[in-house]
Amino acid sequence: MIALENVSKVFRTRQGGLHKAIEAVTLDVAEGEFVSILGPSGCGKSTLLYIVGGFVGQSEGRVEVAGTPVTAPGPDRGPVFQEFALFPWKSVLQNVMYGMLEQGVKTAEAKSRAQAMLRKVHLEKYADFYPRELSGGMRQRVAIARTLVYEPRILLMDEPFGALDAHTRIALQNELLEIWERDRKTVLFVTHGVDEAVTLSDKVVVMSGTPGHVKAVVDIDLPRPRVREDLLRNPRYQEYIIELERMIDRGGQHDGH
Amino acid sequence: MTATRIAHLPGLMPLAVLAITLLLWQSGALMLRADFLPTVGLTWDALTTLGGESDTARMVYNSLRTMFAGFGLAFLVTVPLGLAMGRCDWLREMIQPTLTLFYPMPKAALMPIFMLWFGLGDTSKIVVIYLGASLPLLYHSYQGAASVDEKLLWQASAFGMSPLRRLFKVVLPMSLPDVFLGCRVAMSMALIVMVSSEMIVRQDGIGGLMFNALDLAQYDYVYAAIVIVALIGALLDIALEALRRRVVFWVPGDVLEGGR
Repeated sequence: MIALENVSKVFRTRQGGLHKAIEAVTLDVAEGEFVSILGPSGCGKSTLLYIVGGFVGQSEGRVEVAGTPVTAPGPDRGPVFQEFALFPWKSVLQNVMYGMLEQGVKTAEAKSRAQAMLRKVHLEKYADFYPRELSGGMRQRVAIARTLVYEPRILLMDEPFGALDAHTRIALQNELLEIWERDRKTVLFVTHGVDEAVTLSDKVVVMSGTPGHVKAVVDIDLPRPRVREDLLRNPRYQEYIIELERMIDRGGQHDGH
Repeated sequence: MTATRIAHLPGLMPLAVLAITLLLWQSGALMLRADFLPTVGLTWDALTTLGGESDTARMVYNSLRTMFAGFGLAFLVTVPLGLAMGRCDWLREMIQPTLTLFYPMPKAALMPIFMLWFGLGDTSKIVVIYLGASLPLLYHSYQGAASVDEKLLWQASAFGMSPLRRLFKVVLPMSLPDVFLGCRVAMSMALIVMVSSEMIVRQDGIGGLMFNALDLAQYDYVYAAIVIVALIGALLDIALEALRRRVVFWVPGDVLEGGR
């Protein structure tokens, strides 16, 4: 579904110098697969996601989605950003309807689909609220609903729970798991949380270093549907976390940050 | 422009500050007993006399007409330019140095030159007011457009929005709080420049009234004219703030507090 081959990205810095953010990343994501990109901040993992989204162009390499080279953003790839990126002058319902309306869905249909989606994320009572009236967790639910509702084939999630408190983060992870295990969309999920990556993913791509590169790809062979309580008791879950944490630690020492 | 801020702060403190200001004025006037500082009462008398004359309304109207002509022209030309500058690197690089150079220049000082070019009529005044109002409008519109969150634009493009559509649907609404801030600064700028331009070109206007009274040593009328200008400024500011709260309803608080 998503194919990256030898992708590199060089940024021009404000001082006029060059900064290599990503080096020679090769990666395949199958349809219906939940893949996390795990790594410390500054390893280029978000940049990689932006390249797949078409928001940022790669400097070298090939990026394909469903066999077509990526040149621009499109409704087939739905982003969810850490900063929520809600439109502040639109109500919750209007935000969720916005993507559908832009894609030519009729207002009445967009409205009923948006309301159904808001029920799924337990926000039906907040349809007429404005983003600034909501908590961070609720805002991110709206952002997720807004993207899910127009049914992109791929979800691109950029540390979506990174700005939330621990309790809300776990609640949203569970909601995402529930929704995903029903729909099985292709998901590319950027995170620096090891437990989050293991809990959610079929596959974890570990990135490290400056420039960022793929250090390892770990298949997460844990039963679904995943329930947090069972996972925490599962020795295999614990093993995965220890293995991945070691990997990241070693990466950190090696790169000398 | 203390009256401007006091005007829309509810409560006792602002009234107290206003009362103290009047008290200081009055006691200063009583102590000095000088022609150039009439008492509050004398100024009030002059103000009511002026208020009863149809000439005063005409002068205020004339002044406001030139002021709004200059401000409106500045708004129409400069806001789109500022927004474009905020989203377009080469345009910004082209205009920014000139903007930096012209920003601190006292615009009224250019009045004599404009009089040579455009004569002694309204045109010179409108041009100088236009200049005074356009720089804050340009600067704040630019700031607004430049600080639009990139992720919001990305989100819109992921919906399938074209760049032009994003400009109207995302950049413009996101910049509105800053455009309003620019309007507020530009409006008081326009008022100041309007009065100074009438000092130089004495025509039928509130500034003309002020400086003619000064020449005739009618100081109570000078002060009355100053009060009228201050009231105009305060009223315009209140109106603009009310409009802002309606249009940019999603931004809490006062623009001067930098609510975002």
